[in-house]
Formats: sequence, C-alpha cells, structure tokens
Amino acid sequence: MSAGPVVRPTRATVVGGLLGGAATSAGIALTATSGWLIVRASERPVILTLLAAIVAVRAFGMARPFFRYLERVVSHDAALADLAERRSSVYAALVPLTPARLGRRSRSQVLTGVVDDLTDVVEAQVRVTVPVLSSAVAGLLATALTAWFAPAVGLVVAALLLVLALGCLLAWRVESRSRDELLAARAETARIGDLVARQAGELRAIGAQDAALGWLDDAHAALRVAVRRQSRGRAGVAALILLATAAATVSAAVLVDPSAVGAPVAALLVLVPVAVGEALAPLVDTMRALARAQGSSARLDALLDQEPAVHDPDHPDPGPGVGPQHGPHVRLEGASASWTGAADQLAPTDLDLVPGRHVAVVGPNGSGKSTLLALLARTLDVSGGRHTVDGTDVRARPLAEVRSDVAVVDDEPHVFATTLAENLRLARPGADDAAVRHALGLAGLGTWADALPDGLATRLGTGGRGLSGGERTRLGVARAVLADRPVVLLDEPAAHLDHPTATAVLDDVLDATRDRSVVLVSHRAEALHRLDAVLDLGDRPASPTTKE
Amino acid sequence: MRPFDPRVLAVAPAARRPVALLAAVGVAQGAATIGTAFALAALVVAVVEGAGLGGPVAWLTGLLVVRAGLGWMSERVAAWAGVEVTAALRTVLLRRWLDAPAEQRPDPDRGATLSAQGVAAIEPYAARFLPALVAGAVVPVLAVAALVWVDWLSALVVVLTLPLLPLFAALIGAATRDETEKRWAALSSLAGHFVDVMRGLPTLVGYGRAERQVEVITDVSHRHRRATMRTLRLAFMSSAALELLASISVAIVAVTVGLRLTHGTVTLQTGLLAILLAPEAYWPIRRVGAEFHNAADGAEAVAAVLADVTTDPAPPARGPSSPSGPDELGAAARAVTYAYPGAPDPVLHGVDLEAGPGLTVVTGPSGVGKSTLLELLAGLRTPSSGEVVAGRAHLVTQRPFLPAGTLRDALRLGTDAPDAALWEALRRVGLEGFVAGLPEALGTRLGDDGVGLSAGQRARVALARATLSSTPVLLVDEPTAHLDAESSTLVADLLRDLAERRTVVAVTHRPELVRVADQHVVLTRAGAEVHP
Repeated sequence: MSAGPVVRPTRATVVGGLLGGAATSAGIALTATSGWLIVRASERPVILTLLAAIVAVRAFGMARPFFRYLERVVSHDAALADLAERRSSVYAALVPLTPARLGRRSRSQVLTGVVDDLTDVVEAQVRVTVPVLSSAVAGLLATALTAWFAPAVGLVVAALLLVLALGCLLAWRVESRSRDELLAARAETARIGDLVARQAGELRAIGAQDAALGWLDDAHAALRVAVRRQSRGRAGVAALILLATAAATVSAAVLVDPSAVGAPVAALLVLVPVAVGEALAPLVDTMRALARAQGSSARLDALLDQEPAVHDPDHPDPGPGVGPQHGPHVRLEGASASWTGAADQLAPTDLDLVPGRHVAVVGPNGSGKSTLLALLARTLDVSGGRHTVDGTDVRARPLAEVRSDVAVVDDEPHVFATTLAENLRLARPGADDAAVRHALGLAGLGTWADALPDGLATRLGTGGRGLSGGERTRLGVARAVLADRPVVLLDEPAAHLDHPTATAVLDDVLDATRDRSVVLVSHRAEALHRLDAVLDLGDRPASPTTKE
Repeated sequence: MRPFDPRVLAVAPAARRPVALLAAVGVAQGAATIGTAFALAALVVAVVEGAGLGGPVAWLTGLLVVRAGLGWMSERVAAWAGVEVTAALRTVLLRRWLDAPAEQRPDPDRGATLSAQGVAAIEPYAARFLPALVAGAVVPVLAVAALVWVDWLSALVVVLTLPLLPLFAALIGAATRDETEKRWAALSSLAGHFVDVMRGLPTLVGYGRAERQVEVITDVSHRHRRATMRTLRLAFMSSAALELLASISVAIVAVTVGLRLTHGTVTLQTGLLAILLAPEAYWPIRRVGAEFHNAADGAEAVAAVLADVTTDPAPPARGPSSPSGPDELGAAARAVTYAYPGAPDPVLHGVDLEAGPGLTVVTGPSGVGKSTLLELLAGLRTPSSGEVVAGRAHLVTQRPFLPAGTLRDALRLGTDAPDAALWEALRRVGLEGFVAGLPEALGTRLGDDGVGLSAGQRARVALARATLSSTPVLLVDEPTAHLDAESSTLVADLLRDLAERRTVVAVTHRPELVRVADQHVVLTRAGAEVHP
C-alpha cells in the first residue's frame, strides 16, 4: 500500500486523459475556427470556400460531447475497477489488524474512515490524472497550432500554460496546508453535533444547553477560520488565471500581424488564449482532490503498516485436545498487557476462569477492563506474566483455535444489512431456524422476533428495520448463545441502556449463559450479586475476591 | 427536493447576508462576462482591421481585471456562505433538540447522522451549487438580452433552442425514470455493502468469518461497478445529448451569421458578438444540472433539517429553563400518565406527587417508572395526560454527562462557578482530598487521555455540580447507588442540607435516605402513595 506517489497513471486513466484531451481540444478549436469563419465570411468570399470551415465548426461542435462522453465512461469504469480491487485488498490487510490495531474506542468510526479515505484515493486517480493529462494535451496542441501560424503567439500560449501550472502548484500547496486544519475543524463540529444528538436529554437535565451551544459556536468559529484561510488561496489562484488570460490575449493582439497571416488567422490567434484560459481553469480544482487523496493515503498507510497484535505460532501446539464437554480452563497469572507496546494498560493481574464460572470485572475507566477482555479474546498478547488455556500457553496454539472457544459481546454489536436469521447465523453457519429461534428466546428476543412482519426473514440494518439499543445488545447476546462457545466475554453490554432495560438485559444475559464461563465487564453494580466473583481492577493488587 | 428552499433564510437568518452577497457577486460576474464578450469582439475587429488597439485593449484588460476581482470575491463569498449556511442550520437544529422534550427528538442514531454527515453535505451545496444556480438564472438572461440588442435574428435562434435544453432533459429523465429508480435501489444496497462489512469487521473477526468476505467484497464490488456503469452511461449520454444540442444551436447561430456576413447584411463586430454571446446562454444551464447532481446530498439534508425544525411541537415544549412556573419553588405532578413513544402501555398511570421545600424520597420496585417521573418533573418529557408544575430543576441522572475535558470543565458545566466554589462543592461530596491529590487538581483531564473515575466518583462529581446550580428544584436519581456506606451517609447529609432551602426529590432504593426524608413517596404500578 505504501511508497510511491498517491496518483499513478494506469492504462485506463491515460486513455481517459487522451480522450479528455481530444474533447478539450475540440472545444478550443471550436472557438478558434468559429472566429476564423466569421472573419473570413466578413471578407465576403464565395460561399463554397467557407464550406470546409463550416464542416470543421460542426465537426468540432460534435466531437466535444462525443469525446467527453467516451472519456467519462472510460475513466469512471477505470475508477470503479480500481475501487473493487483496492477494497478487497485493504479489507484483507485489515483482517489481521482487527480489532487490536483499530484504536480502542469507536472502531466502527475508524472503519468508516477507511471507507472514505479509500474512496478519496481512488477518485484522485480519475479526478487528477485525467484532467491533468487532458489539459496538457489540449494546451500543447493549442501551443503548436498558434506557434505554427505565429511563433510569438505560440510563446504567449506557452507562457499562459506555465502560469496555469504555477496556479495548480499554488492551489495544491494551499489545499495541502489547510487540509488538516479543515479536517480537524469539520470533525469537531461533527463531534458536537453527534454529542448533542445523543445527549440532549442529559445536557438539558443539568441546564447545560447554553454551554453546548457555546461549544458549537467555538467549533464553527474554528471552521470559519480554516475555510477562510483555504478560500484565500483558491481565490488568489482564480484571480491569477483571469489576469494571465487578459495578459495573454492582449499580448497576442499586439503581437499578431494580420498582414502576414491574414485577417481570419489573426482573429483565431487572438481568440485562442481566451479559449485556453476558459477550458483549462477548472484544472485548479483537481488540486483539491489531489491534496485530499494524499492526506487519506497517508492515514491509510499509517493504519495498514502496523504489525498485527497477535500472530499464529510457527509450530502450533495442537493443545491437549480435550473435547469441549466441560469447556477450557483459562488462567491469567500476573498477566499484564499493552495496546501500543509502550506503557501497560493492564497491570499484572491474576484470573482463574474455571469452566462455568461467572466473573465480573469492575474498576475505574482506564484500569484495564477492556484490555483484560482483549487478552481473553486472544486479540492481544500478554506483555508479562502468563495466559494459559488448559495449562498450555495460548501463544503456542493456533489463533483461530483459541478464538473459536470465545464469544465476545460488546456495547455496540454491529447489525448487518441482512435478515435477522443471517445476522445470527454468521456466528454459526448452518444453524437451523429452530436453533436461531432458541438463541433469540434465551436472549429475551423471542416475543420481539415473533412479532416481526417477516419473522426471521425480516431485514435489519441499513435500509431495513431499526433496532433499539436494548434490542441491539440482545442481538449480540443471541449471536454469542447461538455460537455455542464455552467462554462468553461481555464488554459493558448495557453501557448505553437506561436503567430498567439494562437490568432486564443483564438478567437475561446471565440466564442465557448459565452453563458457560462468563467474564462481565461492567460499570454498574446491579447484576453483580448474580456472579461468582468480582475482580476489581481499581483495587490493587488485583486478584478476584470470591464472595461468601 | 427543491434546488433552493427559501425557508432556509427564514430559519437561519445568519445565512441571509452571505447568500445575498453570493447572488450579487453572481449577477456582477454575469454582467462582466457579457461585457468581456463585447470587448473581445472589439479587440478582434481592431486587430483584423488594423485599427488602434488602445481602446479595446483597455476595455478588455479592465473587464478581465474586474472579473479577476469578482472571481476572487466569488471564491471567498462562496466559502463564507458554505460555512455560514451550514453553521446556521446546524445551530438551529441543535438548539431545537436542546429545547425539545424527549418525545420530540429524533432517534439518536438518525439525529447524529443528520447533524454530523447530513449537515456537512450542505457546505458544498451552498458553496458550489448556489453560485451555479445564480449564474444559471442570470447569465443566460443577460446573454439573450445582449443578443436581442446586437442581432435579433441570433437572439431568436437562441430563444427558440434554449427551452429545448430543459425539455430534452425532462424527456430523457421521464423516459428513463423507472429504470433509473430500479437501479438506484439496487445500487445503494450494493454501495452500502462494503461500509456494512467494514463496520462489522470486528464482529466477523470475532466469529472467524472475516476471511471469506474477501471474495464476497470483490464480487459485490464488481457487480456494483457494472450496475453503476449502466446508470452512468445513461447519465453521461443524456448530458452529451444536451451538450450536442447546445453545440448545434451555437453552430446554427454561427452559420446564419456567416451567411449574412457574406451578403454584407451584418457587420463583423455583430457577427463576432453573436458567436461569442450565444454559448453564454447555454453553458450555465448545463452547469446547474451537473452541480445539482453533486449537491443532491446537500439539498436532501437541507430538506431534512427544515422538516425537523419547522414541525410545530404539538403541545408547546416546556423545558426546565422555561417551566410552567419559573419561580415555582416546588415540584408537583397531578394525575400524570406517561407512555413512551411507541409503547402500548403507559409506564406511569395517574401519578400524583406534591413536593415542596424539603427532602422528598421516592422508592418503588424496579421498572415502575421512578426515573421517568424525575424526567417529567424536570421537563425533559411531556406527560401524555395530567400536568406537571415545577420550578427550574437540576436533574442528576444515573448516567450523568461529563464532557471530554478537565474536571473543572465538568463541574462548571451549566453554572460557570469560580474555583473556590468548586472546591467547596467537592468538599461537600467528600472528593476534596482526592482531587487535591490529582497531578493537576481541577485541571486534570478526565477520560481516556486522563484520569479514570470510578462509577462512585462520577456520581459524586455530578452531585458536586448539582450543589453549584441555583435552581429551586433539585432532582437526584439513585445518588448512593455506587457508594460505600461512609460516602452514602455523607451524601444523605448533603441532600438533607440542600433541602433546607430547596425542593429536593431523590429516587433511591436504599434505607439511609428514607430515614432522613421529610416525605416518603412509594411508587407502585397503581400510582404514588405518601408514607408517613
């Protein structure tokens, strides 16, 4: 993914650029030949001598939309092919990095960001390569044509092209410099918008409406400054191009000698710089796409160039191979862990998870609750101490095998845009409808599912039926139940739910997972009395205090 | 979906000035463009006839310099308008949500999408589409007017062919509408597939299903490519047809002018002007179409925001800052029934509660609607029937909001109290020592990049904030839920103390608060009864 320029011409984009060049050239030629035709006509020649010019005018008039159409078809098809190829390769590269290398919060935002960044990079292939090449082709043709009639005017057109290139460079610098500032300002306004949409009630409860609007005003003020700075550069470039066109046209008018080239050609030579200026000015806009793509590409590279947090062992130990009848015995002994490799987010911790035991993990934010779950889910390795399953160090066993014992339910289970049944079945392909219904029932979604218009075939997710927070959490639980894995990890499953819903959901979860090992990370005290042990990470040295 | 909804300017007055200036600059640019055509024609005539170039050069240079200035302004104003329209609409939207009771706010996910991505799409709409719209409305009119004056025959050709553009566009649109709609539905589900799979990647990895999606993604992406190209070909074809139509129209003008020139019935100046002015009548209209295609998301977001902010709240909203009786000292619920939106059965049924200055404690079984009752008293919800009369209230919920920032920011939220008052408030909830021991005391950052607070500490910070508020009514939901015995006693004393001068209503399931209460209300499915 990394190294090399962000925009690399491919065969398809070059063909697109050449076709675009033909279209742009036809546009310039249309203006030039029309001017020639009018002036020649005013000399009142025999009409027949004008026929060639009339045909040329018509041909150029038709060639422009024709070539433009071809260019757009070719370049868009190329972009979509490129997108298809890059999407699967970026996705494949992300799989081993998921979830530990996607950041510790709002992973779905990180992943949505990847989708957007990828789109920017792919769009730039078409939105930069094609117009740059088209403009170069048309500009050089115009220069050659004018130079053939009058070398001095050819020089003028060449100078105009140079100024245009300079304008592009300037625009690119402005866009690059303001890009990060603008992005940050836009992200901040989006953050406040998101915050108020989700927390309006809480803000009203404490009379903080004005404070929230104040944050919004601050964010908008920062956005204003960033946009103003960016627009100053763009405005300068737009003015520069018009001034250069004026200078070029006047120079051409002064330099051209009608007695040498004839009046019609003289008109043509005066009109070409105007036509070039008008046809190529939009080129400056492509620099925005380029600057954006460079930022996006840098972000993608930074994300994808990471080392996976966990690896398959070179010589996997198949493990004791005991059947799953009693579930694995998971132990942490003085286990510490770190997401970044720098400071530990989990201080040395002991945990003895005998099959069927239910353990709650509590502690302040930042005490390592999620880090502990990441260890148990085998998405993170210990940085110190031991993590064993049935006495074997987990690092000696194949990743997929250790993971297949564990089901994770987090606070924001993703609902795929497919049917309810398929949303569950991803946890255990081949599960029949009865098993799916059973899992839904245990997760407290039985009556809800029965009431759905299409039952298990009801489409959920984007474009389908929306789910409330409680229903979503229960869907995650139902997946874990259906997966039938002996260890269930619950990462604040009720964090976003109101109190009565949270209590009800937690009750159902603990009922549904009665015969499995459970580790429940929770901020709440409500359900803790139903667990066998509580591990308080805020209360060091960490070791579970068994109740009674 | 309308290209421009004038209600935007009524809803967001801050957007008026930039939009007006945008229109003014657009008109001036149009006029300057027409002027340039005259100067350019004059220049070519002067060159061809070997006349003095001075006049035309001065005119052309002057006009292009003016256009450069206008171009500069137009970029600046467009960017300004983009930000102002976006900011104004977002502010109006968020203000409404902050003032509306829960029933009148959209679902949080939908709201978040609208206020973040949705409103952001308005920026390019205002910055790029609106200028194009102005140009599309002004330049063709000016061009035709100039043509009428210069050469009425060319004007006639343009006037006769110009309406063909929208007509043609409408015909193509009508002929392909069904097909296009069918494809769009398929397209958006194909396009959404990758986002969906990406967002679900952690889930797929968790269940060991991630690898097999690689092939699915390739397959769906290629199907997306084929489907998109079918749609795009049609779109490009129709845009090429419109361009061709415009080209042919200009060619007709050029040929008629050319023929008349050979007969000497028009001058060179007129002929040149005609072919320079004619294209100006066509391209702005085509550009409006192209830009509208890009700005469709923005126009949709504008419609969604307007729909949200212009719906009249059925019963007028009663916020805690504007309650039915702002100077009311107590809080009362009279025969209040409340059902959650969409829920068949009410959670509260005919509840009466009268709380005056002093400490009222509400208990009751889980799920009976205690928290909902507090939200009703705070004005965060509107009763389905019955009435709530209460003074301004501060409600400490079970999940109190702490902003990303310092401890000082969290405590000052809603009050802007000075540091001395903050320390006093922390002392009253027993957190003074803890905060003094933090590396940067009140300036310590909370959350992921700072210090983590336990659930009990969060609850006490929220209580400290409540003591700083000056509202006559204080509502507290399970204030001792996460606290040990010692802290619970401290909090009970604190609430007792606050109740000397204010109306305090606390929901709890713990006995220590009930013991110190002036009034004990037990909430049951049947209603509320006062225990002596």
